[in-house]
Amino acid sequence: MSTTHDPTSLADVSNPFQSFQDLMPFRVQDVLLVSSLYDSFTLQEDGRLNELIAGEFLELSLPHMPALVHVSSGAEALALAKTERRFNLIITTIRAADMDATELAREVKLAGLDIPVVAMAYDNDERKDFEAHHDLSELDGLFLWQGNARVLVAIVKYVEDLRNVEHDTLAMGVRVVLVVEDNVRYYSAFLPEIYTEIIRQSQSLLSEGINPAHKLVRTRARPKLLLATNFEEAWRLFRAYEPYLLGIISDVEFPRDKVRSREAGFELARMARERIPDLPIVLQSSRAEFAEGAAKAGVAFVRKYSETLLSDLRAFMVEHFSFGEFIFRLADGTEVDRAKDLKSLEEKLRTVPSESIAYHGERNHFSNWFTARTEFALARKMRPRKVSDFDSVDGLRFDLIRSIAEYRREQTDTLVADFDPKVFDPNGNYFARIGGGSLGGKARGLAFVRYLLNYHVVGKLWPGVHISVPPTLVLATDCFDRYLAQNGLRELALNSRDDEQITKEFLSTPLPRDVVRKLRAFVEQVRWPLAVRSSSLLEDSQYQPFTGVYETYMLPNNHPDARVRLRHLLMAIRRVYASTFLRQAKDYLHATPYRLEEEKMAVAIQKVVGNHHENRFYPDFSGVARSYNYYPTPPATSEDGVAAVALGMGRSVVTGERCLSFSPRHPQSIVTFSSVKETLSNTQREFWAVELGEETDTDSEKAMRETAFGLDVAEKDGTLSALGSTYSAENQAIYDGLSRSGVRLVTFAPILKHGVFPLAEILAVLLEVGSQGMNRPAEIEFATCLSNDPRKPHEFGFLQMRPLVLQRETENLDLGEAPTEALLCRSESVMGNGTVDTIRDVVVVDFHRFDRSRSRAAAAVIARYNAELLEAKRPYLLIGVGRWGSTDPWLGIPVTWDQISGARVIVESGFRDFRVMPSQGSHFFQNLTSFQIGYFTVNADVGEGLIAWDWLAAEKAVSEQDFVRHLRFEEPVVVKMNGRKTQGLIYKPGKAS
Amino acid sequence: MSALGVAVKSPSKSTSAKDYIHEVIEEIRTKNPAEPEFHQATQEVFESLVPVLDRHPEYRSAKLLERVAEPERVIMFRVPWMDDRGEIQVNRGFRIEMNSAIGPYKGGLRFHPSVTLGTLKFLAFEQVFKNSLTTLPMGGGKGGSDFDPKGKSDNEVMKFCQSFMTELWRHIGPNTDVPAGDIGVGGREIGYLFGQYKRLANEFTGVLTGKGLNWGGSLIRPEATGYGCVYFADEMLKAQKKSLAGKTCVVSGSGNVSQYTVEKLLDLGAKPVTVSDSDGMIHDPDGITREKLAWVMELKNARRGRISEYATQFKSAKYVPMDYKLGYNPLWDIKADCAFPSATQNEINAKDASNMIKNGVALVAEGANMPSTLEAIQIYLDAGILYGPAKAANAGGVATSGLEMSQNSMRLSWTRQEVDERLHQIMIAIHKNCFETAERYGTPGNYLNGANIGGFVKIANAMLDQGLV
Repeated sequence: MSTTHDPTSLADVSNPFQSFQDLMPFRVQDVLLVSSLYDSFTLQEDGRLNELIAGEFLELSLPHMPALVHVSSGAEALALAKTERRFNLIITTIRAADMDATELAREVKLAGLDIPVVAMAYDNDERKDFEAHHDLSELDGLFLWQGNARVLVAIVKYVEDLRNVEHDTLAMGVRVVLVVEDNVRYYSAFLPEIYTEIIRQSQSLLSEGINPAHKLVRTRARPKLLLATNFEEAWRLFRAYEPYLLGIISDVEFPRDKVRSREAGFELARMARERIPDLPIVLQSSRAEFAEGAAKAGVAFVRKYSETLLSDLRAFMVEHFSFGEFIFRLADGTEVDRAKDLKSLEEKLRTVPSESIAYHGERNHFSNWFTARTEFALARKMRPRKVSDFDSVDGLRFDLIRSIAEYRREQTDTLVADFDPKVFDPNGNYFARIGGGSLGGKARGLAFVRYLLNYHVVGKLWPGVHISVPPTLVLATDCFDRYLAQNGLRELALNSRDDEQITKEFLSTPLPRDVVRKLRAFVEQVRWPLAVRSSSLLEDSQYQPFTGVYETYMLPNNHPDARVRLRHLLMAIRRVYASTFLRQAKDYLHATPYRLEEEKMAVAIQKVVGNHHENRFYPDFSGVARSYNYYPTPPATSEDGVAAVALGMGRSVVTGERCLSFSPRHPQSIVTFSSVKETLSNTQREFWAVELGEETDTDSEKAMRETAFGLDVAEKDGTLSALGSTYSAENQAIYDGLSRSGVRLVTFAPILKHGVFPLAEILAVLLEVGSQGMNRPAEIEFATCLSNDPRKPHEFGFLQMRPLVLQRETENLDLGEAPTEALLCRSESVMGNGTVDTIRDVVVVDFHRFDRSRSRAAAAVIARYNAELLEAKRPYLLIGVGRWGSTDPWLGIPVTWDQISGARVIVESGFRDFRVMPSQGSHFFQNLTSFQIGYFTVNADVGEGLIAWDWLAAEKAVSEQDFVRHLRFEEPVVVKMNGRKTQGLIYKPGKAS
Repeated sequence: MSALGVAVKSPSKSTSAKDYIHEVIEEIRTKNPAEPEFHQATQEVFESLVPVLDRHPEYRSAKLLERVAEPERVIMFRVPWMDDRGEIQVNRGFRIEMNSAIGPYKGGLRFHPSVTLGTLKFLAFEQVFKNSLTTLPMGGGKGGSDFDPKGKSDNEVMKFCQSFMTELWRHIGPNTDVPAGDIGVGGREIGYLFGQYKRLANEFTGVLTGKGLNWGGSLIRPEATGYGCVYFADEMLKAQKKSLAGKTCVVSGSGNVSQYTVEKLLDLGAKPVTVSDSDGMIHDPDGITREKLAWVMELKNARRGRISEYATQFKSAKYVPMDYKLGYNPLWDIKADCAFPSATQNEINAKDASNMIKNGVALVAEGANMPSTLEAIQIYLDAGILYGPAKAANAGGVATSGLEMSQNSMRLSWTRQEVDERLHQIMIAIHKNCFETAERYGTPGNYLNGANIGGFVKIANAMLDQGLV
């Protein structure tokens, strides 16, 4: 694509600004993004890249905006970069499909291409691992993705600054800010913020009276930002750009002469001040003790990871940036009309004189304007069309109108529209947003599904089934930010450990008025049950699942008075907001590389998939399916995936209650149904529904939760008939269907065996499509309403899709033959891979003494030890009986994730009187795998593995309470896991070979 | 003089019955290596027979122990079938036709990967005496396969059952061998097996028990064990000129056995005060009434809830959670007249047994399988209380199999009342057999001896009568 001058925005640029035009000779034109489709979608959708480009890229490099072109392998990237010279930046994930980032950088250089290659890691451990094993000198930068798409903007700016700084400083005396920081994770979060800050500052410096286009050009004169990761580099940059330096933002500790120095920052500050006595310098460190030194040196000091760091550095929100209007002119330059966006362009096209359309059409103005607005698809479509292709100018006019309308409709179906009460169609398939910022993890995943469903045949494979994302309204993260900011809640929220106080404060604090206004308009038109779900920035990000940490509420939303409905909705939203800062979330976040301040909450308000049955509302069934099964049983393999389904709302499934688990590829081979007895003990006997009551009007939290009902209710409602079977005690048999008398069970037999609904097929295909889209195993959550009317399709609603994180199989350990007496544990059912030799603490639930009735007490003790060990930064081995994280205290120890978040390896064993079923099916599981925690399942009584209980019992405990013992050893307890063979060994301290 | 009227090599008269038994057991070990379960079972049965052999030299000379330990016939066969993916699977099928002295072979089929010849021989051997004790004309057998039903589709289970029966059918028949269900073989499998038999034999006959009610099954099956156990207890009391009426009873468990034990106790005027599950127990001093029992049945059968809910529902009851630290079960530490362990194996240890005696329990009737440890049994015997051992007290289940056969032969379906009445009669007969045998062999009131010996003697006499076969 050639770079053309766009007259609508630049025709009136006068000479005084011409010099600005010469700035930034190197501009990132188009970016090659080497990653999976999902990664790129995440970037685009999450960050509303279009807007980011408009608001932030645009001001840097008009008239051409970078387009992000996604490829999924290094080879493709190379081929494309060679043939299309428009690409001048490659951003690659650390490991693309075929080569890693350093290999790609080398190949690019070998190919004689002068294209910067920047690596972006999606996970800090992965990044560290990569850094330790590779020479990074060929890369132009290494960044860490942390759920915020601004890092991408930062990368582009960083690369541009790097290349332009010499030219721009010499040409215009552009100022320079030196940032010294060696921590990749830190600067990946920090640089975007600083860039935002710098742009804001430079914008505020602009004088009044110049038009937006000028502003754009002028902002090119903003200060450059240079990053140094060691002392020598910092000093070299300091000396090179000394006359232009605006200031230094520096870490205290960073390498000097290749050795990490505690004095480096102070030394740099001292040397810098020697040369420029009044140079503004900010030192930052996570160690508070440096504050004094900084004060002595007369430089400012901020604490890293302090909850208010970013707010300290951020004064205002960026003013929403004008895209520039399309000005309709006649050939003589007379303005006839203006359009501010696509919608108004479409409208104006109907009325403006043909002469104007011909004028712009001949000069590619339309496609240029589309390009400027990053509507590349439309631009590409319009560019080849000339007036001469049509019989008359009106031919072009109607073609334009039709193309824009089509494009807009397509966008509504696949992309996220802004909620507009005037055009909102409550009965339509809406997916709208209120406010700017991110959609958060959950909503982003759903937006991706909508996109996939629209472009993939999968949505149309089953004619009798309508597969869709339920209508959703998202309060994007800006609403959350504004809510916190305008009410000054942030400080309390960040610092208080009192859940009750936080909830109380939040509940009594109003949402921003414009948001409330929009929600009122929404709720006035909507009278069906709503699910109010958290969709946090970090939640469901690929390596950091926060599933189950934040709240979800179900609102009956059936009160005749819209004001009452609104009150309930606002209440639920505030509760979700509050849950961001509750102890559980704080503790959870503490175990991740993130800071609480980085977390932001979007809220997805979703139409509950379901039907009315008297005063109940629920879907026929709900479930979770994963494309990878950690506990496959023959004939199914891990890759065949697994689904867990239950009648009614999905709560049964996600909280690990009794539900049906099956492999979508083998829907008739159901492990838990191998005998009558097992079937009886493993099938669902009650279900969850939203209770509507008599025009429910209560603000209590309970009214926002599902209610449990017995299967007799489901049978009466008619919802059991497609899912039920009958147990006959007389005949010791279970019969499909409900035609006989006996105990009702939920077996899904009519669906899985008798073709009532193609559930297994749908799941198998969706999982495959999902995992292809994300280049990794996927997890989906769904709810289904069956139709009794042959003219109406069954409804299959997507509630969520997210990537499922697997262990990295970096090495294939051979466990060899280990002598039993050296072992603490052995298991043939292990998740995890590699060797762990950092564990010296063991928290063990005493097998011999443990009493299932006391499992709640045990959970409390474990939570306490966990907190202590987490604080002391001591990873530990957790050994216990029953299903970890079971919500039924009789089946296992009912810990929540935050109560065991410091465990590095977990062992799950059978009770003395009870064989343990692995905790498959609970959200909990996702956390374990994402944090790459080793997970051993042992059932010694049936010969599956061993645990040296007696040895453990004989070891002296550091502390002990309620059968939970904390042991500490001098030597590490070495853990070896072979992920492929699912085998693992844990050695007694000092016994590892 | 040989009872067979032919010259047989007589064992040396100098050896005691004990030594003789040990010789036989040694021989069994040598002949049947790698079958430890079978060794143990024969040893246990034979050792209880010392007083019988002392009194019946004819059993010895007819080599009854040697003969009874050798199956009449062992059938082992290939069971090939094709799974849902079109792959060929090969399993091994067995039928041990152990003893037909008193009736057609009768015993369950077990489908489980742990199935081996040794396990099945052991089970068949025990079945012989269990069946004999019911007083019904049923011989002993057992069969099965190493087929693992876990994760198999309905279709695969059916294909397997059909292939299994395609071989087995020629060996069984309503007057030859009548298999029943066992682990891995429930109503569904019996259905598939029966269907295939019928097709091959071109006959609708009672060749299997455990059939569906609508095609030859019998009523009262879920109730049989619990009802039977209470009938047996009632007989034990009647022999002492007492009755169950007004007796306070502790019952463990809350499954089928337990539920119907409580029901029959109520029928007979007793006052059940406890039920339990693996989490704990409830004690309802006011007694578990019919209404409360109906509630428990709904809780356990339909909702599959926890018994702790009972205490929430009925304020008269106290819930006591299971506490393994105690080393005993508080359920057995309640003042009561009768105890009905109906939950699981080894649920009563020595401490529990002592607690029972201390609390005035004068009768223990075992509805569960082997609920008392050996030490506990010794404590009952030492204290001289009424002890109805599982093999006699819970024979009701086996008995209904026999009743199903009878109904099939007669081409009749009895009503609930009829089956219940016959069950009652059978339990009376079992009690009488045990009671009289115990007395005859010098241990009056010792139902354990009575059951052990009574079961054997009936078989032994029938074998003697039928000559050397």
